[in-house]
Amino acid sequence: MRKTLGAIAILMAGTSLAQAEGVLQLYNWGNYTSPELLAKFEKETGIKVTVTDYDANDTALAKIRAGGHGYDLVVPSANYVPIFRDGGLIVELDRSRLKNFGNIAPEWMDVAWDPGRKFSVPWQWGSTGMAVNTKVYGGDINTSAIFLDVPEELKGKINVVPEMSDIVNFAIWYVGGEACTEDTEVLKKARDVLLAAKPDWLSMDYGATERLANNDWAASVNWNGSSMRARILNPDVAYGYPKEGYPLFMDSVTLLADAKNVDEAYQFIDFIMVPENAAMISAFARYANGIAGSDEFMPEDMKTAPEVVTPEEFKAAGNFLPTCSPKSQEYLTAIWTELMK
Amino acid sequence: MREGPRFLLLNRIGCTQYDQNIRKMKTHDRGDLLAETAAIMAKGVTKAFGQGETVVRALDNVSCEIRTGEFFTLLGPSGCGKTTLLRLIAGFEMPTDGQILIDGQDVTGQPPNKRAVNTVFQSYALFPHLSVAENIGFGLRMKGIARAEIDRTVKEMLALVKLEAMAGRRTSQLSGGQQQRVALARALAPRPKVLLLDEPLSALDLKLRKEMQVELKRLQTETGITFVFVTHDQEEALTMSDRIAVMSAGRIQQLGAPREIYTRPRNRFVASFIGDTNFLGATGVPGGAKLGSGQVIAVDTGGKGGQITLAVRPEHVEITTPDAEGAIPAEVHGSVYFGTDMNYQIALADGSEIEACVQSGVTGEAQIDRGAKVGIRFAPGSVLMLED
Amino acid sequence: MASEAERAQAAASTRNAWLLSTPALVLLFCAAAGPLLIVLVYSFLAKGDYGGVAWNFSTDGWVGILFSRDIFDDTLQLADAHLTIFWRSVKISLLTTLITFALGFPTAWFIATRPPKARAMWLFLITIPFWTNLLIRTFAINEMIRNEGVVNSFLQGIGLISEPIRMINTDLAVLIGMTYVYLPLMVLPLFAAIDRFDMRLLEAGYDLYASRLQVLRHVILPIVKPGIVAGSILVFVPSLGAYVTPRVLGGGKNMMIGNFIELQFGQGRNWPLGAALSIALLLIVMIALIFYVRAATKGSNPHG
Repeated sequence: MRKTLGAIAILMAGTSLAQAEGVLQLYNWGNYTSPELLAKFEKETGIKVTVTDYDANDTALAKIRAGGHGYDLVVPSANYVPIFRDGGLIVELDRSRLKNFGNIAPEWMDVAWDPGRKFSVPWQWGSTGMAVNTKVYGGDINTSAIFLDVPEELKGKINVVPEMSDIVNFAIWYVGGEACTEDTEVLKKARDVLLAAKPDWLSMDYGATERLANNDWAASVNWNGSSMRARILNPDVAYGYPKEGYPLFMDSVTLLADAKNVDEAYQFIDFIMVPENAAMISAFARYANGIAGSDEFMPEDMKTAPEVVTPEEFKAAGNFLPTCSPKSQEYLTAIWTELMK
Repeated sequence: MREGPRFLLLNRIGCTQYDQNIRKMKTHDRGDLLAETAAIMAKGVTKAFGQGETVVRALDNVSCEIRTGEFFTLLGPSGCGKTTLLRLIAGFEMPTDGQILIDGQDVTGQPPNKRAVNTVFQSYALFPHLSVAENIGFGLRMKGIARAEIDRTVKEMLALVKLEAMAGRRTSQLSGGQQQRVALARALAPRPKVLLLDEPLSALDLKLRKEMQVELKRLQTETGITFVFVTHDQEEALTMSDRIAVMSAGRIQQLGAPREIYTRPRNRFVASFIGDTNFLGATGVPGGAKLGSGQVIAVDTGGKGGQITLAVRPEHVEITTPDAEGAIPAEVHGSVYFGTDMNYQIALADGSEIEACVQSGVTGEAQIDRGAKVGIRFAPGSVLMLED
Repeated sequence: MASEAERAQAAASTRNAWLLSTPALVLLFCAAAGPLLIVLVYSFLAKGDYGGVAWNFSTDGWVGILFSRDIFDDTLQLADAHLTIFWRSVKISLLTTLITFALGFPTAWFIATRPPKARAMWLFLITIPFWTNLLIRTFAINEMIRNEGVVNSFLQGIGLISEPIRMINTDLAVLIGMTYVYLPLMVLPLFAAIDRFDMRLLEAGYDLYASRLQVLRHVILPIVKPGIVAGSILVFVPSLGAYVTPRVLGGGKNMMIGNFIELQFGQGRNWPLGAALSIALLLIVMIALIFYVRAATKGSNPHG
């Protein structure tokens, strides 16, 4: 009798211990969250984090809009934060619960898409450019012509990542226009350039890190961090900054309006603003982060990598994509659908 | 020598006269009229399954000759090899040893679609997706015959088997007997040299079977095609065949005309398979055989002495009074009423039992009581010595 | 002259029949008809700004199937890009059906003519791929045919070719993938039909002077036609709406209807068009099926 009572007591203690530990549902880009970071977080707070992947802002948007997703945090790109905000999908962050808030680097504190960082906290930022296997093509890779006017050696071997805003804006810049323009002349030219180049593309798919590493693709429009990871696996892969203009992106962590584990969410957001932890995030996906003081904790190869440290001559061509007006968005979408057919 | 079926012509000039003529010319005469070259010849045909110790011989060194234009029956119990022999002739299987010749040509290696032989299957094997007319015309269609001629022949065949009204029906809508006739028409349409029939009447009820027996015989005589007929029903064989090959355990036990098979069975198997037979053990003595009960009866033993087996048909056993001349004393043990006949079980002095078959009287009552003492006489020439 | 008792019994049994089938009917309505109705309604609404729908009536979705407004001069013109996608889907689905039939028929025949005990094992082998997730199967094919995949490595290894053969990211890759994925769906109904086939009919055919080819054409194929019809439907319909396989093996560049519909609900941000396309696909498939089944089973006796 006493033995069974004792066993029941232990069991109950065990379950209540488990309940004290808490869970967190993080909805993030694929290949973007460091497992070591999550392990460290769980060790310090006892909160278990489950990550669900998405590969496009639109996917995340559609899913969150649909409701019933069960996520607590989502990490949209800069130009989508206003969309989430205006749609009432994310909430303003309670500063009093974020003691590390001051760690955000000054240049990333007041951004156009979230003045004063009311809704978001930096996760990682980077650029979109050209990842090319230099063994296949030895020419200048710092140009959008790699995919908009494909060189002979790369014809039929280059992938274009199906990110609408990145690709269409690349084309707009290539023909001399401005991002999110409503100028129909410019848009027409951009569309024509894209349509003309499409036959030379091999595919429009994700997964560049693996595909470039195992030589399925000889080149791809790709993000810098993914390109660095590809280079680590396959030294022939180099990253080019298109001089005609290339998009910068920053992904930020936001708190969903219908989050269930709000407490745990705040703990996590606070956690990632610690310089060491931010460095951990960067070390995994090889993208820079927006937390001051994390530099000294970054891995050695990132401190000098051309993908992360933008060479001076290309810095000016990098622009954050603004949130386009609905009219401009419609044009972009129309061009994109025409392209995708 | 007739060349082939001229049934149309025959139909018009009146079959009756023709039939009568044929019937008049029975076995011996017909043999002369029939072709010199055999329609089918099997030479030393063996069909074995399995190997070594477990080998099973469905056919064991079988040789026979089937004459053109005759109605030839393969008769035997199941497993005797008759169907196997038929299938070898058709070409569905190849013999392990020996040859098959059709019209003098060696066809042993030829597939069935190259042999001018058609089969009526036991299960009819009608094509369910084709109408009756299409079934019948199938063989001609495969041969590439012109459409008009196919239609004409199909019409002929339908008339021949009296199924004109059913031309457009699905085969599944027909009765068993009708399906059988379609199978027949289908096999006859390509005018084969030989028609093989694999127990075609076994699925029919008695009345229908008897009708079809007459039909088949009529068809065979009209068309003049060689029929090779397989059955286990000895009555069927006796009524329809020109010659019968009685088979057992992969061998032909006896081959001959029905009358010969019936009245002069060669061995115990043939004697007991065809009709009923009484078997008596006896000892060969000069001029006859001595029964166990002591009497000597006249039988052609060919001079053989020692133990022999005698066979006599029940209908040749005459029941008389015990003191009649040459009568063997016996006692009646029982009787069985068969409608047309009455069978009496009779015991001889030495205990051996025989049956006597007597035509029933008008009232059908047994004329001889149980336990009556009677005398037995065998009709002259009815007792045979069997070979084994 | 039905008695009181008989009438009461008849009424009771009807009532029972309805009661018993209610759960199934409810399930059917909620799970099948209900969502379809929602999709139908969506197809008649206007599109929302960032995806979703705006609750105003609009036929733009339906018009958009065949026509598109030129983005810049706002003229309505025939959307031949849409037609290209339709045609590509139909073409690939038809080819998949034909190839799975050409491969599946001998396979089914082989299995059906094995001794009964061995048959179970062969069927088991054919259906094993079915137990694996579709995505894994598709990636397996990807592994086989990509430039440094199994096939190319092998061929280069034995010196047959010097450059890898480009198979991935083409319509051919999609065809290979779909054939592999849908083959069991063709084999199984064919096997069932051939299993029922009376082999004695083959002998009858040969007996009546048919060559092997003629027996195939005039005896076997007409009788196993129900199996062929079933298998074709099971392959054609899903492959028309295929989405994963064309995406993974085609590389996203050559869309089929499934991918096109998905685009509208994602980056295309045109839910009404996506809904209209879905309904249109459903209608086309239903009509095609009706015609096909009628034509294929014409003249054959259902009991035959």
